Amino acid sequence: MVFSAMYTLTDLRVLLRTTAPSHALNNEQRAQAERLLENLERQVGSLKQEMLK
Amino acid sequence: MRCGAGIDARQVDELAINIDPIQAGGRLTADAMKAVIAYGDGYSVCDNCRKPNRLDYITKPPIAEFHRDLASWLNMDAARVVPGARRGFQAVAHTYVNKGDPVLVTSLSHYTEFLAVEDARGIAFEIPDDDRHLITADATAAKIEEVKRESGRVPVLAFIDHVDYQYGNKNDLKSIAKVAHQYDIPVLCNGAYTVGIMPVDGKDLGADFVVGSGHKSMAAPAPSGVLAATAEREKEVFRTTAITGDLTGRKFGIKEPEMMGCTLMGVTLVGMMASFPHVKERVKHFDRELANNRIVTEALRSIDGTSVLSEYPRKHTLTRVDTTASFDTVAQVHKKRGFFLSAALAEKGVVGIIPGATRVWKFNTYGMTTLQAQYLAQVFVDIAAGNGLKIS
Repeated sequence: MVFSAMYTLTDLRVLLRTTAPSHALNNEQRAQAERLLENLERQVGSLKQEMLK
Repeated sequence: MRCGAGIDARQVDELAINIDPIQAGGRLTADAMKAVIAYGDGYSVCDNCRKPNRLDYITKPPIAEFHRDLASWLNMDAARVVPGARRGFQAVAHTYVNKGDPVLVTSLSHYTEFLAVEDARGIAFEIPDDDRHLITADATAAKIEEVKRESGRVPVLAFIDHVDYQYGNKNDLKSIAKVAHQYDIPVLCNGAYTVGIMPVDGKDLGADFVVGSGHKSMAAPAPSGVLAATAEREKEVFRTTAITGDLTGRKFGIKEPEMMGCTLMGVTLVGMMASFPHVKERVKHFDRELANNRIVTEALRSIDGTSVLSEYPRKHTLTRVDTTASFDTVAQVHKKRGFFLSAALAEKGVVGIIPGATRVWKFNTYGMTTLQAQYLAQVFVDIAAGNGLKIS
């Protein structure tokens, strides 16, 4: 799960690179960012459950 | 944000469009970044190293397969990963050049090609570039004859840049190799700016060796690169060790002296491997990269007094321009002097040209999106117009 979260962040990082310097997202990129951020929240949630149980 | 004591997190490419001429093709793919996260430890690719204990025999991760794929992709017979193109030059020079041997380089060769010749105690002879800054077959033939006349010997090796680093000009390597081979001179194709950027077919080019740079053009961490050879040359440059310890009688299996045994043993190699499928795909679309370059180059050419010093139309995205009669005239009177241009670019989120450069400088558009190319083109025009330069 650690890697999953880091890899999601990596995909977000690449999105920042392809949209630099304005980071103005088109519809497709916005949808991608939303999907990635939702995944990240889920992955961090799972980490919390596993590590803090 | 820091990633260690005194080490700031680098976010150059996240915050800006980076047009640094040597960095464009080496930016990591997402998969390479992910591989770097997982394989950062020193000997991380060696968990499953088994006899005969050599890097290019490891099957998990699939390093052996990667080596075969690399050779096949370059249409060569064997390939090894090396710590940068320069180590490829060094291995080849060390194999073929002895003290006092003449070696062909070019007037646009990278310094590491000279150092490889020097390290092998050879003597470098430069093939001159022509008025277009290209190396031609005719100039190669003339230089070989000159070396023969003056030293009484034929060069033992030729280092020829597929695309040179100064102008980003593409040389007719096939014709040059044909001439060199008429004198039995093996040819090393320096593909530091082409392998991983555009299609490279080693055998079609007539190269005995193809050298590529992972960190310059294959979206891989530094230092990384590839040295590929034909079947004939493979036996020479990738020969195996024959040494024996006089006391212990130890031998060292199939280690290769020119590679100093294993080469890339961790993050550099997996980064290169992770990017490889993307690199194989991207070279098929080099026309898109040239189209983006054209957007930027045309914008620069529209600024009165600006000229492109590289061959035109461009065949590569690394481009050298002369703005002595445009941006440099602004620098003469601007309070920031020559730094006005890099400062103005930085304000607009563009980095990568040498601070202070307003006369002759290089940029590289490789890897940017069309939107980014359009933005960059407009930034150049806006800076010019904002400083009173005429746009045609």
